[in-house]
Amino acid sequence: MKKLLLICFLFFMLDAFGLESAPCGDYGDCKKFSPQLNNLESLQLGASTFINYCYGCHSLKYSRWGRVATDLDIPEEILLSHLAFGEGIKPGDKMTGSMSSVNSETWFGIAPPDLTLVSKLHGSDWVFTYLKTFYEDSSKPYGVNNMVYPGAAMPNVLASMQGKQVLSCKDVPIIADNGGVKRDEEGNDITEEKCGYLKILPNTGTLSEEEFDELIYNLVNFLTYVSEPSRADRERIGWYVIFFFIIFTAFSYLLFREYQKDYD
Amino acid sequence: MTDKSSGLFNWINTRLPIVNTFERHLSKHPVPKKVNFWYMFGALATVVLILQVVTGIWLMFGYESTEEGAFASIEYIMRDIEGGWIIRYMHTTGASMLFAVVYLHMFRGLLYGSYHKPRELVWIFGMAIYFVMMAEGFLGYVLPYGQMSYWGAQVIISLFGAIPYIGESLELWIRGDYYISGATISRFFALHVVALPLILIALVFIHLIALHEVGAGNPEGVDIEKYVDEDGVPLDSVPFFPYKVLNALVAIGIFGIVFSLIMFFFPEAGGYFIELANFEEANPLNTPEHIAPVWYYSPYYAMLRAVPDKFGGLIVMSSAIAILFVMPWLDRSKAASIRYKGVLSKIAMILFVFSWILLTWLGTVPVTELRKTLSIIGTIIYFAFFLLMPIYTSIEKSKPVPERL
Repeated sequence: MKKLLLICFLFFMLDAFGLESAPCGDYGDCKKFSPQLNNLESLQLGASTFINYCYGCHSLKYSRWGRVATDLDIPEEILLSHLAFGEGIKPGDKMTGSMSSVNSETWFGIAPPDLTLVSKLHGSDWVFTYLKTFYEDSSKPYGVNNMVYPGAAMPNVLASMQGKQVLSCKDVPIIADNGGVKRDEEGNDITEEKCGYLKILPNTGTLSEEEFDELIYNLVNFLTYVSEPSRADRERIGWYVIFFFIIFTAFSYLLFREYQKDYD
Repeated sequence: MTDKSSGLFNWINTRLPIVNTFERHLSKHPVPKKVNFWYMFGALATVVLILQVVTGIWLMFGYESTEEGAFASIEYIMRDIEGGWIIRYMHTTGASMLFAVVYLHMFRGLLYGSYHKPRELVWIFGMAIYFVMMAEGFLGYVLPYGQMSYWGAQVIISLFGAIPYIGESLELWIRGDYYISGATISRFFALHVVALPLILIALVFIHLIALHEVGAGNPEGVDIEKYVDEDGVPLDSVPFFPYKVLNALVAIGIFGIVFSLIMFFFPEAGGYFIELANFEEANPLNTPEHIAPVWYYSPYYAMLRAVPDKFGGLIVMSSAIAILFVMPWLDRSKAASIRYKGVLSKIAMILFVFSWILLTWLGTVPVTELRKTLSIIGTIIYFAFFLLMPIYTSIEKSKPVPERL
């Protein structure tokens, strides 16, 4: 029976991996993203990046200003003076964005989607990879294309910080069938030119690669938070509930054993 | 004080059979003393059903059954209602877990022949519960009005359209409109929260009444009624209360751990309990590349896709469910339990489980040529298990069933 299960399992895995297209488009497998929902500093920085660079076009219409402020420990005055741009915004208002969908459809051809649930819909890994894989492509209306979502109708708004990212080619060692690197008679690696690698042109952006990575990390961390504001609570409470059920099971088992003696 | 309250109790008891009912169904209801964990899923199903009803009522406080408001109202429950997310995750996790325990409960029935004489009606009412549950689950799945809710509903409703002559009018009648709209949502809402739960609870009641009339089975397939003491109580039985209630409590505890692990740490269960496409509001102008039902309908969906003709697919799919109803008359074996059945039944059972798992998986992934062939093979094995049952159970030699438990 165990062997049968193992065979079934291997069979499924082979088939599943062999046929599905890569989750991150031309990029292949997505970069891994693990959120830190208790890291308030990261979430605050992410929120600020979102408001400054994304909120002009993308709304977070299911989320409210006040909730974000409370959860991220941002004082209300600072929220209203530094983040919530616009006349008469109250903490209870939803973050409905600042662009009307009629305008945006005229300008972009498609209304920029609401991003409240984007990291649930595509996964945080996907969003993280997407934001890092814009590259220069003069054939596109905005001069950029994206590896994860080719033909994305969105300019690379973070380019000033990231710098110009281009697709480049480089020499990579040829891998033999046995998994090792192919070498010539003198023991040097045999290489071939492969293309499709992302490269940032030096001194074109205001941030270093590490600083930019951190910026994106914080931004995606914030988007992960906003897709489910109660997630940190959920994971905290979960342990208590499980602990309760363990105790409950233990005591009911002991009682059950005691009564079982009557008929065993 | 004691006298007074017992006086009141007597007053009520002479008018309402409290003591009688308690004794008949709990403290004096005999159940086999030796059963295994497979016999716990019925109790668990009852617990989850109650959970679904209670959380469902709470969800209704915040849900809005309109085309414009449905999707947003789910996010309102998740974000703005205090503890709303707990209630909703209980309900979504509960839906999948109810199907999981019911599938295990049904499989127990197949394994130990719970449909054998005299439990035919218990089985049939159980199947009716399963059937209504499937409708209930489908209606509830449409309510959040996400992308997959919409397109899943589109696929299912269009199945009715494949029925000759009446198909198109039937589709229109179900939707209440020419396309899925607010009219569809509000009628699905009414059916999901009132009509089907009422039927479901009534069926569960009948299922239990019928069960208590004939008594519960056991993994050995032994008829415990054969040996009784002077009061007519089976020797191999214990009263349901408190013995089996305690047994069920242990099961509920373990189940609670599993349930909480999913609910608090993986509520979407990788897209199997809450489909990821449903995090986007329904968009009638944008058909998703890959439409897949939730896992518990998956085997039937795989069968539907295995048949090239839509109406033929519908027939195959509904027969797959219908055939379960006649199980009591397909199994000709003298032994109820798989433990004493012949080798053919055992092989058939293994193949059946294999085909079910295969079909469940196939229904959740995009179709390819290889997978289509596999779906056809899976469907054939599934039906062969039932259709050939009268033959293999009558020609095989079963082992003698013991007299006592």
